[in-house]
Amino acid sequence: MTRALFTNHYPEGTSFAYSLITKYLNVWWVSSRAAFSTALSNRAGVVLFLAGKIFRFLFFFLFLFILSQRTQALAGYTTTQVIFFFLTFNLVDVVSQMLFREVYWFRAQIVTGSFDLVLSRPVSPLFRSLLGRIDILDLLTLPPLLILVVVVGVNLHPSSLSLVAYLALLGNALLIAAAFHIAVLALGVVTTAIDHTIMIYRDLTAMARVPIDFYKEPIRGLLTFAIPVGIMMTTPAKVFMGIFEWPVLLYAFLISVAGLWASLRFWYWALKNYSSASS
Amino acid sequence: MLLDSLRKYYQVFVVSISEMFVWKLNFVLWRVRVVLQLLLLYFLWSTVFLQQEVVFGYERAQILTYIISVAFLRSFVLSSRSVDVAGEIRDGELTNFLLRPLSYIGWWWARDAADKVLNIAFALVELSLLWFLFRPPLILQPNIVLVLAALAASLIALILYFYFSFLLSMAAFWVAEAWGIRFLATMTLEFLAGGFFPLDILSAPVFRALQLTPFPYMLFFPAKIYLGQLGVGEVLTGFGVLISWTVFFVWAVQAVWMRGLRTYGAEGR
Repeated sequence: MTRALFTNHYPEGTSFAYSLITKYLNVWWVSSRAAFSTALSNRAGVVLFLAGKIFRFLFFFLFLFILSQRTQALAGYTTTQVIFFFLTFNLVDVVSQMLFREVYWFRAQIVTGSFDLVLSRPVSPLFRSLLGRIDILDLLTLPPLLILVVVVGVNLHPSSLSLVAYLALLGNALLIAAAFHIAVLALGVVTTAIDHTIMIYRDLTAMARVPIDFYKEPIRGLLTFAIPVGIMMTTPAKVFMGIFEWPVLLYAFLISVAGLWASLRFWYWALKNYSSASS
Repeated sequence: MLLDSLRKYYQVFVVSISEMFVWKLNFVLWRVRVVLQLLLLYFLWSTVFLQQEVVFGYERAQILTYIISVAFLRSFVLSSRSVDVAGEIRDGELTNFLLRPLSYIGWWWARDAADKVLNIAFALVELSLLWFLFRPPLILQPNIVLVLAALAASLIALILYFYFSFLLSMAAFWVAEAWGIRFLATMTLEFLAGGFFPLDILSAPVFRALQLTPFPYMLFFPAKIYLGQLGVGEVLTGFGVLISWTVFFVWAVQAVWMRGLRTYGAEGR
C-alpha cells in the first residue's frame, strides 16, 4: 500500500480516477497511522482526554435527562426525544472532529510557514489540511455513541423512510461541516488575527445540543438559515421522529451544496493570496 | 521597597492589557464564544419554565438570575491565563522568568488581573445587551450584606481557582503532555462548579458529597449567597470550607513549585 504512494506507475487496466482515489487513500492511511502512533505515545494523556470527553458527555446527558424528566415535556418533546437530539448532535460532532481534526493544527502551520511544505508536495493541500489524519480519540468514542443512538432510536419507532432520510441528512450534515471547516482553513490563510475560529464553530454547533426550537426568533432563524447548525443536528433528528418539513429538507440539501461550493471558492481564492510566513 | 515591587507587577498588568488590545478581533471573538455558551443555557432554562412556574424549587426569575450571575462570575473567577504555565515549563521558557528579579506566581497574578479586568468589562456590556434584548426577570438583591458576602466569596473563589489552575499546569514539570489533565479538569469543573445548573437540584447525597470538594465554591456558592437562598449557618460553613480549600491550594502550589523546580531540566532551551 505504502509503496503505491511513491510510484507513478498505475496498474494496467485501472483508470486515472481509480489511481487517484487509491493514492489519496494511501496518503490518508499513512498519515492516520502516524497520528495513531503519536497519540498512543502518550497513553496517560489519551486516557485523561477520553475521560474528559466521556465526563462532558455524561454530565450534559444527565442534566438533560433530569430536566426533561422533571418537566415531562421540554417544548413538547419527550425525554427520549430530547436525548435523541443530544445524541444526534454528538454523532455529527464526533464524526466531523474525527475526520477534520487536522484543521485544528492549521493555523500553527500558517504562522510558522510550515504550510509551504504541504504546498510543495504532490497532494492536494486542501485534502492534506482538511482530512490529513483521523483522530483516534474521537474514533474510540464513536462505537459506544453509535450503540446509544441505536438503543434510543429504536424506542422512537422510526419508519423506513424516516430512517433513510435521517441517514441522508447525517451525510448532508457532514458536508455542511466540511464546508465550515474549509471556510475556517481559508480564513486561516487570509488572516492570522484569529486563533480560535474553529472553536467558534464548535460553540455555534454546541447550541444544537438541544433542539433549536428552544431558541426564540431571530436566533432560531439564524441557526437554521444563516449558520445552519439546526439543519445539521436538529433536522435529522426531527425527520427520524417523523417530523417532516419539506421546505426545510429541500433547503438542507441546497445549503450543503451551496456552502461547499462557496467554501471551496473561498479556499482557492485564499490560496492564491497566500504569502508564506517563512519567505 | 514594597512600592517598587508592586510597580513591577503593575507594569506587567499594563503591558498585558496592551497586549490583549493588539489582538482585538481575537479577544472580541473569544467573548462571542462566551455569549454563545450563555445563550444555550438561557434558552434551555427559559424552555423549562414554559409549562411550569416552579422547577426544582426555583422560580423562573431565580434560575435566570442564577444563570446570569454564574456567567458573570465565570468571567473573572474561572478566567486564568495560568493555563499557559504548562507550555512555558515544557518549552523551557520558564528559565527566562527564573533569571528575572520577580516572582513567577506574582507575574501570573498580574497577567490574570489584566485578563479579569477586561473580561469583567466585556461581561458587563454583554449581559446588559442580553438584558436589553430579552428582558429576563432578574432578581436585584436588596440586602447589601448579602451582596458584599457574595462579592467576598467570589474574590476568595478567584484566589482558589488561580492556585487550582496553577497546580494543574505544574504537572508539566513531570509530564510532557499536561494537556490531558487540564482537559479533564476543565470538562468536569464547569459542571461540578454549578456552571450549568444549581447543584442543589441533584440528589441530596450527591450534593452533600460535592460540598466537600472545592468546586461548588467557585460559582455555585457565591451565586446562592447573592440569591439569598442560604441561611447564616450555611454561609458561614461555606466560607469555612472555601477558605480551607484556598489555604490548601496555596500551600500545595508552594510545595509542588519547590519540588518541580528541583526536577526542572529547562528542556528546549
